[in-house]
Amino acid sequence: MRKFILRRLFQLIPLLIGVSLLSFFVMHLAPGDPTALFTDPNINPADLARIRANWGLDKPVIVQYFYWLKNAAVGNFGNSYTTGQPVINEIMQRLPNTLLLMVASYFLTLIITIPLGVISAVKKGSVFDNTVTILSFAGMATPSFWLGLMLMLLFSVNLGWLPAVGMHDPLLRETGRLANALDVGKHMILPLLTMTLLSLAGITRYQRAAMLEVLNQDYIRTARAKGLSERVVIFKHALRNALIPTVTILGLSLPGLFGGAFIIETIFAWPGMGRLGVMAIFQRNYPLIMGIVVMSAVLIMLGNLLADICYALVDPRIRYRK
Amino acid sequence: MFKNGFIGLLLLLLLFGCADNGQQVNKPIRLPDVSQADLNGKLILSLGGEISLLNPILSTDSSSSAVEGTIFSGMTRINEQLEVVPDLAESWKVSKDGKIWTFYLRKDVQWHDGEPFTAADVVFTYNSILNPKVNSVRRSDYIIDDQPIRFLALDKYTVQAILPEPFAPFLARSGMSVIPQHLLAGKDINVADFNRNPVGTGPFIFKAWKTGDSIRVTRNPNYYLGAPKLAEIIFKVIPDANAQLIALEAGEIDESGIPPKDYSRMKAQEGINVFEYDSLGYTYLGFNLANPKFKDIRVRQALAYATNKEQLVKLIYKGLASPAYAPSAPVSWAYSDEVAKYQYDPEKAKVLLKEAGVDNLEFTILLNQGNKEREKAAIILQQQYAKVGVKVNLRVMEWSSMLKIVNAATDPKDFDAVLMGWSLGLDPDAYSIWHSSQYPKGFNFINYRSPKVDALLVKGRITMEKEDRKAIYAQLWQEIAADQPYIFLWYPKSIVGISERVGGLSNPGPAGLMLNLEKVFVTR
Repeated sequence: MRKFILRRLFQLIPLLIGVSLLSFFVMHLAPGDPTALFTDPNINPADLARIRANWGLDKPVIVQYFYWLKNAAVGNFGNSYTTGQPVINEIMQRLPNTLLLMVASYFLTLIITIPLGVISAVKKGSVFDNTVTILSFAGMATPSFWLGLMLMLLFSVNLGWLPAVGMHDPLLRETGRLANALDVGKHMILPLLTMTLLSLAGITRYQRAAMLEVLNQDYIRTARAKGLSERVVIFKHALRNALIPTVTILGLSLPGLFGGAFIIETIFAWPGMGRLGVMAIFQRNYPLIMGIVVMSAVLIMLGNLLADICYALVDPRIRYRK
Repeated sequence: MFKNGFIGLLLLLLLFGCADNGQQVNKPIRLPDVSQADLNGKLILSLGGEISLLNPILSTDSSSSAVEGTIFSGMTRINEQLEVVPDLAESWKVSKDGKIWTFYLRKDVQWHDGEPFTAADVVFTYNSILNPKVNSVRRSDYIIDDQPIRFLALDKYTVQAILPEPFAPFLARSGMSVIPQHLLAGKDINVADFNRNPVGTGPFIFKAWKTGDSIRVTRNPNYYLGAPKLAEIIFKVIPDANAQLIALEAGEIDESGIPPKDYSRMKAQEGINVFEYDSLGYTYLGFNLANPKFKDIRVRQALAYATNKEQLVKLIYKGLASPAYAPSAPVSWAYSDEVAKYQYDPEKAKVLLKEAGVDNLEFTILLNQGNKEREKAAIILQQQYAKVGVKVNLRVMEWSSMLKIVNAATDPKDFDAVLMGWSLGLDPDAYSIWHSSQYPKGFNFINYRSPKVDALLVKGRITMEKEDRKAIYAQLWQEIAADQPYIFLWYPKSIVGISERVGGLSNPGPAGLMLNLEKVFVTR
């Protein structure tokens, strides 16, 4: 197992070079450049040309790439064009905010969807199952910005229970860790609710389908024939097997946690990675885009590795060669 | 139980979603009296975009500028009438030949860290902008005929600017915020820590910055125009316009821009004052004159006659904008509407097209994605032009990609017509938009050339007397409007909602409602 993990980690290096090379060129294929954003009659194009040259953008793309690679190899990802701050700082300022929201939503979704899927499968065709199915599809079809705004109108404007936007209350009087955490928690409820309501659908459906398939297997019939209680049959025999496809989906969605949710972050003014990334692309903020791409690539690979390790844990048929 | 509860919630949400009650009564503006001011009051403003950095010579986005406006000050500033008035400079004079400008600075100003403010800081600021290694987009503002303006400190409180040529727009550019020499000398300004930890001379002192979330500034008790009434201003970043409005309604922020669609609803809202005022700019349809389709002036005139600007303004802004006829703005001191207006007349348009020998004219309008007003305008124009037998195609592109086409250094450029807008500077100088030297590199991307206009543009720059300049610009607008290289579409308005607890506002105008920030207050 250890050897397997080490080998996989080692494979990261050539992969990262490939990913960075490809994205560097694709990024430069997109029309426009970081200075093109300011079309203002009061800004002289000569200034833009000078700033481009200061950033080294007047050199051939391949030269720019090797320059970038040389610095990146020693952990220097450059400075953001818009803020002048090191790219690493920019990312690290946002990442915790995003992780907080995304991980909370991830686990909340998990806790709700797996039982929902299981119960739906067991009570297939019942009122409960149909309700869950209808709600799942409704959730899939609802645009997040709409649901977000509606929840804000309801809970912030009409009822006045929860803050609508941001992460902190600027007028908070109490200081200290606890007050601060409670404040952030309060601000998290609406974005979390929106994200969770919308992502219920997917995993519930997967879990239900997987469970249904397992329930039709011979060994379940055997288990029942042995006279095992229904609870043991479902939770011990069926669920463990039905979790395998769900683990795949969950593993694949792990890297997404780091990418953040652009629309949710925008609507709820949550200072996370999604907004940072999309803004970087619109602004053609090359160093920042590359920093995020490389970070995401690493996380995706680690996410996949983690999913593979989890397989071994839930599925005894899978063993990695020593 | 679960099912009913949830569906009930959804229905409730649907109801809120459609809460437009049709006719609503406009509520009068209610401003609090200064006697109610809370000296511990905190004002919460919203910003639509993220703040990049807080250094006025580097930043290019409006969010950063909004915050910098509270922390920094310049030698001059503007008043409600958009006139240049003293700020850090008490007075100034210009030599007869218009080349030597002398500014006399206030002697009672301190930086927020207690250091005295002197002429050396002003000279340092302008020299930093002129330093080619500093990534300031303002550098060319201080270069005339390829020669930089020279800035000298005559003594501790006197600054002299020596211009290579007389240049009237310089006065409007003397308002650049001043940055402190003692904190930035010898540093790489592009990446200096200062840019996240600024020190200025303005009414508020930088306090804290939560990246992507908010910025706080606190009262500068030593501000030279008197200590501000507000204890603190908090800028909250709320990227989504709808969320911003909701936050205003929920009382989380004190100010928000209002989209035209929400205007009448917000106008009736208790607790919120809604102000609308002209902004300094215009939206236009510009023709690529390097393209043979638009070479004949009769074609452009025909399209101008075919444009129903009243309808555009009514449909897009519900009347909250006014039709435009000249490349200026009604709020500018140099505005004049004595120009050829080409009022809507589709019959005349057809006749002109026939005279020009053009039938089956077809062209493509290039516009940027995401600007709802322009997207609507393009569709309406498409229909208006169809009425005179002109077929219009639309090409909607992401902003950066569109600019790549428009700013390409090639001749001719790859577009027929472009739907864009200009926001204008304080000075009416429009050299960069209309002078023939500004093509293909420059903002005259439609390749407009007129020797008469070129001459007027130069004359406007070297004439110092305001009244004389007024006459020059009136003539300039007349010349350009007659040629219709652009069809001027509308002058946009700004609509802003401000909580009724905020007072001390200036008269609504393009200079903003909080022009005298030290006087703004919130009630107890």
